[in-house]
Amino acid sequence: MKMRSKVLAVVALVGLVAGACGGSGDGAQSGEESGGLSATMDGVKEGGTLYVLTNQEGASTLDPQRVYTGAELGAWGSTFTRTLTSYKPVAGKDGTSLVADMATDLGTASEDLKTWTFTLRDGLTWEDGSEVTCADIAYGVSRTFGSEVTAFEGPQYAVSYLDIPAGDYDTGSAYPGPWLATAEEQALFDEAVSCDGQNITFKLQVPVSDFAYTVSLLSFAPVPEAQDTADQYGLKPFSNGPFKVESYEEGKELVLVRNENWNADSDDVREPKVDKIVWQFGLDETVIDERMLADSGDDKNAIVYGGILPENLQTVFGDESLKDRRTDGFDGFVTYTMLNIKTVSCLEVRQALWLALDREALRTASGGPFTGEFATSFVAPLLAADYEPASLVEGLNADGTPNVEAAQAKMDEAKEKCPEVYAKATEDGLRFDHPDTDTWRKNIAIWIDSLGAVGVKINDNPIEASKYYATINGDQGDLMRAGWAADWANASTVIPELFGQGGGFNYHNNEEDPAFADFQSKVDEAKAETDRDAQSKLWKELNQVVIDQVWSIPGSATKSQNLVGSNVRGAYQWLPFGWYNLGAIGLAG
Amino acid sequence: MVFFVLRRSFFAIVLLLIVSAFTFVIFSALPADPAALTCGKNCRPEVIESNRERLGYDRPLVEQYGAYMKGIFAGRTYGEEGSSIHCSAPSLGYSYDRHECVTTLIASTLPVTASIALGAFVLWMAIGVGLGTLAALKRGRWQDRVATAFSVIGVSLPTFFLGLIFIMVFVIWTGILPFPRYTGLTENPVDWFMSLLLPWFVLAIISAATYVRMTRNGILEVMNEEFVRLGIAKGLPRRRLIVTYVLRAALVPIVTIAGLDFAFLLGGALVTESIFNLPGLGKLTLAAVINSDLPILVATTMVSAVFIVVANTVVDILYGFLDPRVRVK
Repeated sequence: MKMRSKVLAVVALVGLVAGACGGSGDGAQSGEESGGLSATMDGVKEGGTLYVLTNQEGASTLDPQRVYTGAELGAWGSTFTRTLTSYKPVAGKDGTSLVADMATDLGTASEDLKTWTFTLRDGLTWEDGSEVTCADIAYGVSRTFGSEVTAFEGPQYAVSYLDIPAGDYDTGSAYPGPWLATAEEQALFDEAVSCDGQNITFKLQVPVSDFAYTVSLLSFAPVPEAQDTADQYGLKPFSNGPFKVESYEEGKELVLVRNENWNADSDDVREPKVDKIVWQFGLDETVIDERMLADSGDDKNAIVYGGILPENLQTVFGDESLKDRRTDGFDGFVTYTMLNIKTVSCLEVRQALWLALDREALRTASGGPFTGEFATSFVAPLLAADYEPASLVEGLNADGTPNVEAAQAKMDEAKEKCPEVYAKATEDGLRFDHPDTDTWRKNIAIWIDSLGAVGVKINDNPIEASKYYATINGDQGDLMRAGWAADWANASTVIPELFGQGGGFNYHNNEEDPAFADFQSKVDEAKAETDRDAQSKLWKELNQVVIDQVWSIPGSATKSQNLVGSNVRGAYQWLPFGWYNLGAIGLAG
Repeated sequence: MVFFVLRRSFFAIVLLLIVSAFTFVIFSALPADPAALTCGKNCRPEVIESNRERLGYDRPLVEQYGAYMKGIFAGRTYGEEGSSIHCSAPSLGYSYDRHECVTTLIASTLPVTASIALGAFVLWMAIGVGLGTLAALKRGRWQDRVATAFSVIGVSLPTFFLGLIFIMVFVIWTGILPFPRYTGLTENPVDWFMSLLLPWFVLAIISAATYVRMTRNGILEVMNEEFVRLGIAKGLPRRRLIVTYVLRAALVPIVTIAGLDFAFLLGGALVTESIFNLPGLGKLTLAAVINSDLPILVATTMVSAVFIVVANTVVDILYGFLDPRVRVK
């Protein structure tokens, strides 16, 4: 998952838009807005050029095995990279329904949920008219293992799920990916991912009840071996969707044009309207907002990737004439602060930290209510099936202001119950790891001030942003800043990943906590549960355990706001990706 | 004269070698870790170390510099067999952030910057010298005051501010011009011209302001020279006197500075390119700074240094032609 500029990186998700919304004081208020006319297909015509304006210098990547940004997963998936399964292309909760895409159905699992088979549809074609084969999918999946190229950038589910022995390569697997594998090593992969005509079978080392969701990720997309240019594949990926990459130049533009060899009969998910999509990179954010507000010329056919500048939010949401062009909603992301349970093993201290923290000041520092709402769960509100506001620590102020009295009471309790941790917190101080960014230089001052009120000392440990996750992977502080969104519409990509044993982003050392054994056994139960309702119930209970044990302090369920040109239609928030269904957008007028 | 040119060229090459070594060392000492930048969020410390070894960042700086310089003359292969990328000579490195050979990136951005620099240069020289001459000839009159005011305003205006004002007025509010979107000169000369019009004027106004002052002062100074008074006394026509004698003498130092300014601009008009979204060398450098993309930073710094050193050498050589005393020194 990546964050670039104003774009909150959302790794795919999710469910029904939910939750009440906080006001922003005078004038415009933050609240759910779905885009009005621009989200409908009223008056849409075939053809035209859609523009995407962004201040980013380029896409994070166009390489399917490397992309891990929610909006881009949706954008590339809806235009030039098809996968075995996908999401229903509609607004609202229905948009999180999984549907077959290149596969004929949602796959067949063995009884133990460790073998999954998908059958490819007829008529699947690449942009040169050649057939998309099972071997292309297997080859695409194998690229994730080639970390010397794909560089751990995309989701690593292929590595963690596929039944390939552990080994000494950087991924921890005995298979090094297609570029370096010997014949013997390649055989290991071919055992795990095999083809039989139109059928592709995945053998997994663990039971996975929602593997049909896993293969909707672009890291499971096909890549024709003959077209693979390794590190440079992302500059010109080969298309099997309705659009293809005509040109891509970082710092300038990405031009997608219609793929004449896309077979519409083989695709029930995509209904392209425009002829061309042009991403214009590197635009000044102020200029983007002014252009969108002016809504003239080609900008009537434009959308923005990156949201609205905070200083313009009042203008946009205070002007009723913009109602049909604006959106405001959750983007599926939840921020939080991890606690190292090995070093902060005292529950009362952890509760005191949460109670004393001035969450409102933190939110104000990052832009106020438009940036999001105080999170009451580690599962984002958009993941409706698995989301339920948890019961938070007693005494926590709903308005985000600190409750110093309650926090101090917890510290007093801690002094008696766990004097060592109390002494560490008040004398030695707690090390707070965070990326060395402008935002966090501001935030850490708020942490230091508000926790200082109950005698807790914070030792600031800024880490160079590009090394942040790798650093805390090897050496955890006492507190660590993080953010997360589900990889698909199931909290199986949240709770186990962040708090479970072997979770890819579990830096809590929470296996030291007495409550962990029960927690983990319930996680295993939930992962193997095939009844979706029963599974949801378990995720909600597990989220409550995390909240009760304060393994992490939830921050915000973040939101994003957007404004589109007046000719734009079909620009609805596609919930699994927290952005528009790019390939479905059309133009009126 | 030939010996003079050879000597200057030799020193230019030595200077470039020193600049390249210095640049390489400076950027290698930055806190940004190039090995960490080749690894995504799922990365582990040991993988970063493994990447460091694989990409050669663990080797002594001298060895890294040697490999870099060798790549300039012989090309270089990056990555491992099976997934390697070859960058042909002159290879200035490989950007793992942009997945391109740095030379390719510079080759694609340089024409943009050159287009901006060339047009802006012509405009600012025309405006600066023209207004400066007018101000000098109409000293103390309203033309002089207008030119001086232009000069003061131009010098005071930040590029980004003037750029934004131009965009607001000419693109967004009045719609007279489309938003600049760079098109290559050979692709469509009209679109090329239109995409560069606003950036040219912004740079020209800001740079010309200095040249107005320099030209005005230069001309006024030359006008007091004895040879000018002699010309007037001998009844030389005013136009001929100004154009043939006064301007020629006054412009020598201006041309020298203009040459260096032009070379500096070729290194990238960072702010102008960013405001007008022109994918030139300056914008490439800015993005490299934001992403800590060291191979690009080293290369763009060196390319800029080459422009400056070459321009300096050309100016030195020209001076040698114009003034024999320089050659003797």
